Amino acid sequence: MLGYQNKVLRINLDNKTYSTEPLNMDWAEKYIGGKGLGIKYIYEELTPGVDPLSPDNKLMFMTGPLTGTPAPCSGKLAIISKSPATGTILDCSIGGHSAIKVKYAGYDAIMFEGKLDQPGYISIEDDKIQFIDASDLWGKGSHETEGILADKYGTDTTILSIGPAGENLLPISCINSDYYRQAGRGGIGAVMGSKNLKAVTIKGTGAVTVDDSKKMVRKIAEILREDTTTEDNIWAYTDGTPGLVEACNDGGILPYKNFSDTTDVKWESYNSESIQANKHGKKGCGSCGLGCGNFTKIGDAICEGPEYETIAGAGPNCGISDLETIVKFNQVCDDLGMDTISASGALSYAMEMTEKGIHDFGITFGDKEKLIDYLYLMAKKEGVGADLVMGVKAMAAKYGGEDMAMHSKGLEFPLYDPRGSWAMGLAYAVSDRGGCHMRSYPAAEEVYAASIPPYTAEGKGKLVYDLAIYNAVKFSLIFCDFWALGLDRMAEVMTLATGKQFSEEDMNQIAERVIHLARAFNQREGFDRKDDTVPKRILNEVLKSGAAAGQKIPVGDFNKMLDEYYEVLGWSKEGKVPDSILSQL
Amino acid sequence: MAVKRLKFQKENCIGCQLCMQACSGMHEGAFIPSKARLSIESYYDKGGDIKIGRHVCNLCGICEKECPFEAITIDEKVSVDFDKCTGCSICVEKCPQHVISMREDKAIICDTCDGETWCVKLCPHGALKFE
Repeated sequence: MLGYQNKVLRINLDNKTYSTEPLNMDWAEKYIGGKGLGIKYIYEELTPGVDPLSPDNKLMFMTGPLTGTPAPCSGKLAIISKSPATGTILDCSIGGHSAIKVKYAGYDAIMFEGKLDQPGYISIEDDKIQFIDASDLWGKGSHETEGILADKYGTDTTILSIGPAGENLLPISCINSDYYRQAGRGGIGAVMGSKNLKAVTIKGTGAVTVDDSKKMVRKIAEILREDTTTEDNIWAYTDGTPGLVEACNDGGILPYKNFSDTTDVKWESYNSESIQANKHGKKGCGSCGLGCGNFTKIGDAICEGPEYETIAGAGPNCGISDLETIVKFNQVCDDLGMDTISASGALSYAMEMTEKGIHDFGITFGDKEKLIDYLYLMAKKEGVGADLVMGVKAMAAKYGGEDMAMHSKGLEFPLYDPRGSWAMGLAYAVSDRGGCHMRSYPAAEEVYAASIPPYTAEGKGKLVYDLAIYNAVKFSLIFCDFWALGLDRMAEVMTLATGKQFSEEDMNQIAERVIHLARAFNQREGFDRKDDTVPKRILNEVLKSGAAAGQKIPVGDFNKMLDEYYEVLGWSKEGKVPDSILSQL
Repeated sequence: MAVKRLKFQKENCIGCQLCMQACSGMHEGAFIPSKARLSIESYYDKGGDIKIGRHVCNLCGICEKECPFEAITIDEKVSVDFDKCTGCSICVEKCPQHVISMREDKAIICDTCDGETWCVKLCPHGALKFE
């Protein structure tokens, strides 16, 4: 099929060899690329029960047929593996320019297998692959690493790297690229670290061939104007995700002090206007069209962002309102290679545990100096840092306070309180990689658009399913979250690139297959209904403040949502994918 | 009427490189930014500042003046007469914007898509203009 390079680069780190093979087109027809096709490869190639940090786990970079074309917002790279944080399937999506470089280098995907005997990095320049010693880079932050490699290879080479957090195998470590873009969640950086792989550099000078490139350029010019840089999406350019601070605060879902309440009277000190006042430029990914990245500087704190999750996580959820601290937190996390959501989640849990006198982690809400200092302890697993990087699930198992450990399947919650958006609670519980807002995002309907009543279980299983369908296919094609294009538009762009006719119904079928397959992977690892949970705090404690004051998700309602979700997907009451579906995947 | 030229405003550039994809898509029959007739790259210099590298033909006329074989003419756009072009590469060396490349001993220069400027049409926030 056109659009694809029809080539997978397979890198064997054990013996420093590589090979290429045709992309499995039977799978590509069923799962397209990105999330879906990456999960298919990992599902087929991993031995069930494999230790995520062992050489037998694999790490895959996956593009799609649109990558490298001017389809708007098509520049994201999916990175897929088994998660060291949760033991589930893990697919991350990273921005920047890595995806288009993989494609221009001539590959649809790169599979990393085994483990280097010494720290090293891989340099890819079209068909030239080199294994290079990285002992001088090991221990350095991602930013310094990227600077050194950019000096060596030039700025048109994309660099993906890990920081000390990934090297030290932390389950809250990420992969960085273009300095400020991350494959953030589930400890994907630790998978790279476990393979002694410090970085991958990619330069691509080749072509992506589509059905009719002139026709595609003409049509994309139209789409860009009429459907991308339009009122529905332009917030990504004008504000970026900091715009959500106000929406979440107003809607009563902005978490405060480790989800002990919502809303913050000081929200204006870190809202979009405050970020804009400190903005020093805009940056988008390759093949973007929107450009969400706000390059922000306050004092000596610099980052691209901070994004909403980081603002809310290091800000109100840690009892902090100082924007410079939030930007610094973002910068240090990026450099150390730590996921800002999980790192701030671990810190806010530690703060509440300390204040409640259950266990003294030496840090309380609002302590902005320690918030930053602790990150360095965490990256090196020193002192209290060694506890914090286990993640809140493991910390609660060791020190108690289970109700305060805000996670699903061991992945720390994103920053939307489900008590003010009930379907969000279901979305966290059933997300394929644990507590995540990127698999289904009902807060947009229940809170921002206020198109669906938020405090009811009615119809929420179907709502979460519908939105999960949308994201599953979007991240498989692979598009960025921030372009709200319809399934019909996705089909149209796929047809433009591949020359094969795609319909909206095809998009639906592909999406459902992806959801089943991700679940099948987790099922094979022993996950079922018992793991589709939210912390008791969400079910038992009512919110005291804000628009959702008085709300909790009663357990009966939570179970009703879960039942409906399984039913819509044709799964059993126990949340199992039946053999009749498994055999079709 | 003044001749229209490509103009670049860096504050509106997000570094998406849709311009290079548009250019190669219209001229090469595939998306291959390395062969685009313009190059715009936005990157973080050591993470500290956004820098923009840009190579865009602004019809300055130096290639026309320097070509020893009168192969290059500029009216509304740049035209290269491949029968006259010997591949001497003097234009490549003299071009102050570094936008000329040599392919099979012929000079490849932006022709502003005969006035259609697809790079401008795919530029999302007006960093490239044709005026």
